[in-house]
Amino acid sequence: MVATGDKNPAAPGNKKPADDEMPDFSDVQSGASSTAPAAQAFETYVVVKGDTLSKIAKRVYGSANSWQKIFEANTDVLKDPNKIFPGQKLKIPAKS
Amino acid sequence: MKRIGPSLIAATLVVALGGIGCKKSEPPPPPPPPTTTTPTTTLPAAFGVSAVTLGNAIGADKKVTAASETFGVNDTIYASVDTAGAGHARLRALWSFVKGEKTAKVDETTIEFESAAPTVSEFHISKPGGWPKGDYKVEIFVGDATTPAMTKAFKVG
Repeated sequence: MVATGDKNPAAPGNKKPADDEMPDFSDVQSGASSTAPAAQAFETYVVVKGDTLSKIAKRVYGSANSWQKIFEANTDVLKDPNKIFPGQKLKIPAKS
Repeated sequence: MKRIGPSLIAATLVVALGGIGCKKSEPPPPPPPPTTTTPTTTLPAAFGVSAVTLGNAIGADKKVTAASETFGVNDTIYASVDTAGAGHARLRALWSFVKGEKTAKVDETTIEFESAAPTVSEFHISKPGGWPKGDYKVEIFVGDATTPAMTKAFKVG
């Protein structure tokens, strides 16, 4: 699963980080699974200004059309897929 | 006026004195207090983490094949988490890079499942561009807890 959410912003260019700078982890990929049946793995994504479910889906899954997957995983907090707000925490299901 | 005979007086006295001597009948004993029975049903054990093991590969059982706390820059890093207890379970793995007093979030992944028996779950992270060398840690949280149930430190490089 492509890492998303409140990770460190990418360092500009390929500049080597200074000693006090933290490395860039924006390209980290992750996942999880369990021996328990029907286990569901997801990342937590914190919505930022300008986000839409399509934009998040494009970034996470590589396809804006996958927005519905995110919407369906968050029906407990989202009633309208067009209404998300900064600071809102969304579950991002793992790529299948 | 009719006189009361001595025999009648004696009989009255016998009856009256006999009444005094009789023991008043005792009230029935109070009913025994209701017996409190200790429930014999065993409550399911609370869900909890029993072990976290790190490695760069896992088997079908989700356990790492060889435990390690030092990794190469191109490794996929696995955290195998043993849990026990019943009920709805939510585990969260927070991976961080540690540099002195500072930490940078590397990744955060959550898994939810219904636990009925000891379970093994795995979390993994990889970085196509290679891991920066240094110190890292993974913290495993249960449910909404803000303090980790278990923390494992590891090193890259």
